[in-house]
Amino acid sequence: MNVITRGIRNAFRNVIRTLSLVTILGLSIGLSLAMLLAHQAVGAKIDSVKASVGNTVSVSPAGVRGFDGGGNALTETEVAKVKTLAHVTSVTESLSDRLTTTNTNLVSAIDAGSLGQRFAGNSGQSFTPRPDTGGATGGPSSFSTGGGQSNVSFTPPVTVVGSTDPTNLSNNVGGGTFTLKSGKVFASNSTENVALLGSTLATKNNLKVGSTFTAYGQTVTVAGIFDAGNTFSNNQVIMPLVAVQTLSSQAGALTSAILNVDSVENVASVTTAASTTLGSVADVTNDSTRAQASVAPLQNIQTISLYSLIGSVIAGAVIILMTMVMIVRERRREIGVLKAIGASNVKVVGQFMSEAITLTMLSAVIGIVIGAIAGNPITKLLVNNASSGTSGGPTGGPGGGGFVRVQFGGIGRGLANIHAAVGFSIILYGLLAALLIAVVGSAVSAFFIAKVRPAEVMRAE
Amino acid sequence: MIEVKNLKKTFASGDTQVHAVNDISFSVADGQFASIIGRSGSGKSTLLSLLGALEKPTSGSISVGDQDITKLHDHALISYRAHKIGFVFQGYNLVPNLTALENVMLPMEFAGVPKKDRLERAKALLSRVGLSDDQQLRKPARLSGGQQQRVAIARALSNKPKLILADEPTGNLDSQTGEMIFELLHELAKTENTTIVTVTHDLSIAGKTDKTFRLNDGKLVKK
Ligand SMILES: Nc1ncnc2c1ncn2[C@@H]1O[C@H](COP(=O)(O)OP(=O)(O)O)[C@@H](O)[C@H]1O
Ligand SMILES: [Mg+2]
Repeated sequence: MNVITRGIRNAFRNVIRTLSLVTILGLSIGLSLAMLLAHQAVGAKIDSVKASVGNTVSVSPAGVRGFDGGGNALTETEVAKVKTLAHVTSVTESLSDRLTTTNTNLVSAIDAGSLGQRFAGNSGQSFTPRPDTGGATGGPSSFSTGGGQSNVSFTPPVTVVGSTDPTNLSNNVGGGTFTLKSGKVFASNSTENVALLGSTLATKNNLKVGSTFTAYGQTVTVAGIFDAGNTFSNNQVIMPLVAVQTLSSQAGALTSAILNVDSVENVASVTTAASTTLGSVADVTNDSTRAQASVAPLQNIQTISLYSLIGSVIAGAVIILMTMVMIVRERRREIGVLKAIGASNVKVVGQFMSEAITLTMLSAVIGIVIGAIAGNPITKLLVNNASSGTSGGPTGGPGGGGFVRVQFGGIGRGLANIHAAVGFSIILYGLLAALLIAVVGSAVSAFFIAKVRPAEVMRAE
Repeated sequence: MIEVKNLKKTFASGDTQVHAVNDISFSVADGQFASIIGRSGSGKSTLLSLLGALEKPTSGSISVGDQDITKLHDHALISYRAHKIGFVFQGYNLVPNLTALENVMLPMEFAGVPKKDRLERAKALLSRVGLSDDQQLRKPARLSGGQQQRVAIARALSNKPKLILADEPTGNLDSQTGEMIFELLHELAKTENTTIVTVTHDLSIAGKTDKTFRLNDGKLVKK
């Protein structure tokens, strides 16, 4: 028997008290660990979201996103000015346009549907007048105009994107990841009338690599067929920038420029510089502001979990502290006896500390089990509650919000993938926290132990 | 040889001061059995606390052997209590969740006696005070008052102290058991040449001791 074994034995002196203490303290340690897990998991997610956003700055004509809004196209002269800004490594330029039934023989692979029909009456788009109503199948749908007299059918337009970086779909309204299915990709500086076709568009029009179709009244050769992983992009035509500019008679015009920045840290400064340089002709945005908006709820969860972590550690410390103070008060006489028969303060305190550590370690074992079981569900619960208001669905018209939607979609999917993993370090943290709690708890009781006068044993009970 | 000179202990309770021990001088030779008698509140327990270094005197000196214990620092006082003093209390004061054997080994642990020696000596002592092997492994709650006080005496003797201080050791026992406990104390003290100072209210017991001091309001009354 020594100080330590006596402390361990004393921990089981009152079995009911030990059981209730260990349960309550175990819960508080378990909650601390669950919060620590949530904190780490969310932190890792924030990092990966930030990292995945990349280091690009988008330049769009002022007031235009996709095909929504209005205003004038950017010019290559304007974009040339931002190409030379510090930290800009390269620029991807693109011009998107819509083919109409009058200048192409391509048929859209997308049904108009109810969303498409909302825009059927918009000006600037060509529709095929239909002589009669009828149950048309396939692409065209029929509807009645305001007067209810004439019927026209509406076909969603096919979008053509002229790009200096054809495989980079991030500056296309449809987004997605470019996968070449057949053929080959034209050179970024090509001026030929060649095109990459989205897979569903190609199928719909029975086009293969080497086939030709008509656009802007000219013959265009299919150079390759790609899959973007989404319906919108798979209905697109990608052509060399210069070809689109020439065919559509928009020489030097751009609808989008993506500035690639040397590092994430410089994205904000490049955004400001580009905005200043271009003035009112362009809207300059960067992904990091979007990322910032999407990680904000995650950061809130991080803060909440940190506070809960601190709170539950403090609660645990208070629980063991109160219990130890109670036990010391209860055993005043015994402490006096130990001192009277030759125990030093250090030995008595050591014995109580051993008792406190035993109680806390038992609780830690329960706490680690609780934390391991509850960590993941708690993390998911926190993340789902906080992100439900964030990942806004489709915004704007057909394509207008497309880019934004995909971005949020990506992050939303990421949130669902958050996983709080119980690692060895967590168990270590748990034991360390428990040890800390035990030491704090016994430090205060040590003060009370030191105050017990050995002469008190002489007083009648 | 214990030599007490002009010993004073004053407690401040609110505005008034209680002179619990008020200028006491006396001596007890080695191996002597001395008793202290006096009314309740006369300062008997306080005097024992001072002799056992549980309390520091307000003034005066206490020499035990060649040491003036009033001049010792805290660390030396702990060692003094562990090695030189054995206490027996009215309420036994055994540690409730330790067996009789473990209770007797406890002061030896504090005094740094090797583990093997502790067990051997504790068993021998408990046998001498009359506890069976089975009783030695019981916790205090499963022993009678007289048996508990026997364990307490064995515990007091465990470090072979120079001085045993007993505060009304028979106070909680019937007179027959009380007498047996006293005889045990006396006999053990004689064989180990230990000095005993005991407080008692039993005059028949006091009459059998080598020396008797009477306290009245903290002062020694000549008998
Ligand atoms: N710690 C203390 N604080 C204040 N007064 C005390 C304290 N200890 C003892 N006294 C007082 O000292 C006097 C002597 O007490 P005590 O030595 O216990 O007497 P006895 O043991 O003879 O009954 C009593 O008046 C008691 O109230
Ligand atoms: Mg008394």
